[in-house]
Amino acid sequence: MQNLLDTVKGPWFIAVYTWREGLRRKTLVGFLVLSLLVIFGATFMTSFINQATVGDVTTDMDLKLIKDICVTTISIFGILITIFISASVVPTEIENRVIYTVLSKPVRRFQYLFGKFLGVQLIIIMNLCLMGGLFFIALYIKQQILPTLLLWSVFLTYFEFLIVSALTFAIACASSSSVLPTIAGLFIYITGSLTEYLKDVYNRSGQSGEWFDTLIGYIAYILWNILPNLQRFSLKTQIINSQPNDPPTDVLIPQLVIYGLIYAVCGYILAYWIFRKREV
Amino acid sequence: MSDKKINIVLLIVFATFIVLGVYQGRRVEFYRECEAFYRWILAVGTQERLFQTSEGEKKSDKFIDLQLFAKLSDKAIPLLLSETKETVLVDSALTNQENFANIIGDISNDPVIWKLTIKKEMRDLREEFLKSLREGKIEFSRNISYVEAQKSGVNIFNLFFGFRKIAASLIWLEVDRYWHQGLLYRMVPLMRTCVTLDPNFVEAYLIGAWHLAYNATAKLIDTPQHLKKWNLKYKACVGEKETFYYLAIDFLKKGIRHNPRDYKLYFDLGFAIYKNKMNDYPNAVRYLTEAVRVPHERWVRRQLYICQETNGQYEEALQGWEDYKKRFPDNPVAPRFILRNQGKIYEKNAQEIIKEAEKVVDEQLKAKRMNDAVSLKKQAREIWQKLKEEENDPYGDYRLLLMDAMELYNEGRYLESIAVLDKARWESPSNFDEVSDLIIRIKQEANLPLTVSEKKAVLRKAEGDRCQGMPEEMTDKGSG
Repeated sequence: MQNLLDTVKGPWFIAVYTWREGLRRKTLVGFLVLSLLVIFGATFMTSFINQATVGDVTTDMDLKLIKDICVTTISIFGILITIFISASVVPTEIENRVIYTVLSKPVRRFQYLFGKFLGVQLIIIMNLCLMGGLFFIALYIKQQILPTLLLWSVFLTYFEFLIVSALTFAIACASSSSVLPTIAGLFIYITGSLTEYLKDVYNRSGQSGEWFDTLIGYIAYILWNILPNLQRFSLKTQIINSQPNDPPTDVLIPQLVIYGLIYAVCGYILAYWIFRKREV
Repeated sequence: MSDKKINIVLLIVFATFIVLGVYQGRRVEFYRECEAFYRWILAVGTQERLFQTSEGEKKSDKFIDLQLFAKLSDKAIPLLLSETKETVLVDSALTNQENFANIIGDISNDPVIWKLTIKKEMRDLREEFLKSLREGKIEFSRNISYVEAQKSGVNIFNLFFGFRKIAASLIWLEVDRYWHQGLLYRMVPLMRTCVTLDPNFVEAYLIGAWHLAYNATAKLIDTPQHLKKWNLKYKACVGEKETFYYLAIDFLKKGIRHNPRDYKLYFDLGFAIYKNKMNDYPNAVRYLTEAVRVPHERWVRRQLYICQETNGQYEEALQGWEDYKKRFPDNPVAPRFILRNQGKIYEKNAQEIIKEAEKVVDEQLKAKRMNDAVSLKKQAREIWQKLKEEENDPYGDYRLLLMDAMELYNEGRYLESIAVLDKARWESPSNFDEVSDLIIRIKQEANLPLTVSEKKAVLRKAEGDRCQGMPEEMTDKGSG
């Protein structure tokens, strides 16, 4: 039992340390402040609309704009924060040589990496909570009803970030600078959002009858199956304006959570595989 | 454990999770497909139930929605009956299609429909739907993001990395700007773009329809009936104003297909367009009834009951108001409308008895019937008196005057009757036209001279509802 506690304690301390370290990063704080300003500013923007249009429905238009602006802000700034933090935690420690001090202690690489990954997740969750919290308050002030669907939207957003974070983290483990993993993280997000194209390539393949065309189609199909498809999380924007108790949404949310967790584990295994081979 | 073994274990674990990811991805994909199918069922069910019989819907051979829905209904009804006998109500007098459309219309059946959608037995129909969707053969609910993404390489779904909704909102700001610049014709295509980007942008449908039906027509003058043109699509006589009304109706109907569970769209279609603009009370009642079938605000019911009353459905309106009073005892409007409908029911029954009595040969029976009618009229009078005195409603006064006038008319005292009616029409301006028509009728019957405006009204009526290009068979039915 004591051994198990020690195994858990080590990563937890590293996670808390990573989290504190993350709070000191100016870039992340900058992104966070900017996103909070945009969310806060959404209400000003909608007041302008309020003056511009007439009728009872205007209030709903305000809400719609606030929701759209805030969900987009959370997605954009959230993903930037996720990529920056996931890409930098390990390379920075290698650059500062802090990693040597930590690994010389009775901490296994697995524990160290798990702690770092956990720390990254704590930072992402904290940022999401701050942004989501402000959005929640803004929405509550406007509509005077607790926006519970928003919580589901933010919850799903986290699992989308979790996939990007895990894969970026894996690339960061192979790099000694945070620049490359940051760029890679952005690519992961962009390609993850465009994975549907691969299905399209598959659907259109074979039309020319050339073997190469068919081969490309099969490759695209395999990649479409294997690569994480972030577009599946578009449900987060869909539910924010939908009616409560929508049967497909109720089924899709847990399915997407499992999907996010599986790819996060894949990312973490990849990260560990790379990291354990690395000479540090 | 050696390094090589650890690598193998890691590789196996990684591969296992990738396989799990692929499996889970396929599951999510399956549910997304089912979601697309489910949303289409709701859309086409709404179309079948509400718009199928209405005039003006474009029917094209290109689309197979209704054929597919017929197939689906034939398969769904036996399945539903075998599994959910207690919860799903099926009327044997109706076709499977009508029954299924009615089941879809009830919001409490949503979980049942969803369960049906994901069933193995539905697999072939689901696939047929998705195939047709990709081939562009589905008219309703084409904007489902899942299939749209597969339809073509470059499309609006991927273009914004999933941020379509914010794009739609930003375009809406442009619509708003054009509105303030008076560039109405630029607004319409942009509004359509907005709802294409975000089919769930309910406010865009509402405000768009409001711009079209109200703001665009505010400065337009009424087109005289004979200058209106027959519209094949809407099967109605359409002038400049009516064109905008029908555009607004089409826009709201599109919104309803994409958002069949949103009361606001039904309410605006029924109240703002059909009642306020078109004076089409049967359609107003139809859509307001739909509005109260889904979660709604309390004032929606009030408008439904008012429209039912105007449409002559006094019994339904009375029942509704009584229920409303039970639910909201503090509401000051309900007691007034309960009295109004009670009074009208008495009057209506009295009229029916008089009509029946006129046909009866037996004098004794005839006298008995007439006495019954008089008794009902007396009860109606008491109600109007109560409405006037207790509720302080001028409508009570108006109805009393109307009854007085009709009694005078029945006695052949036409001039006095007209004088009372003249007073009555000023008591209730909302019934001005109705009473004016009655005055004209009495004057014509009594060979009394008409005023200039009355003569014009008679001429207008003589022209009838005919308009340019109107088919002969439609003349008797009347339209416009």
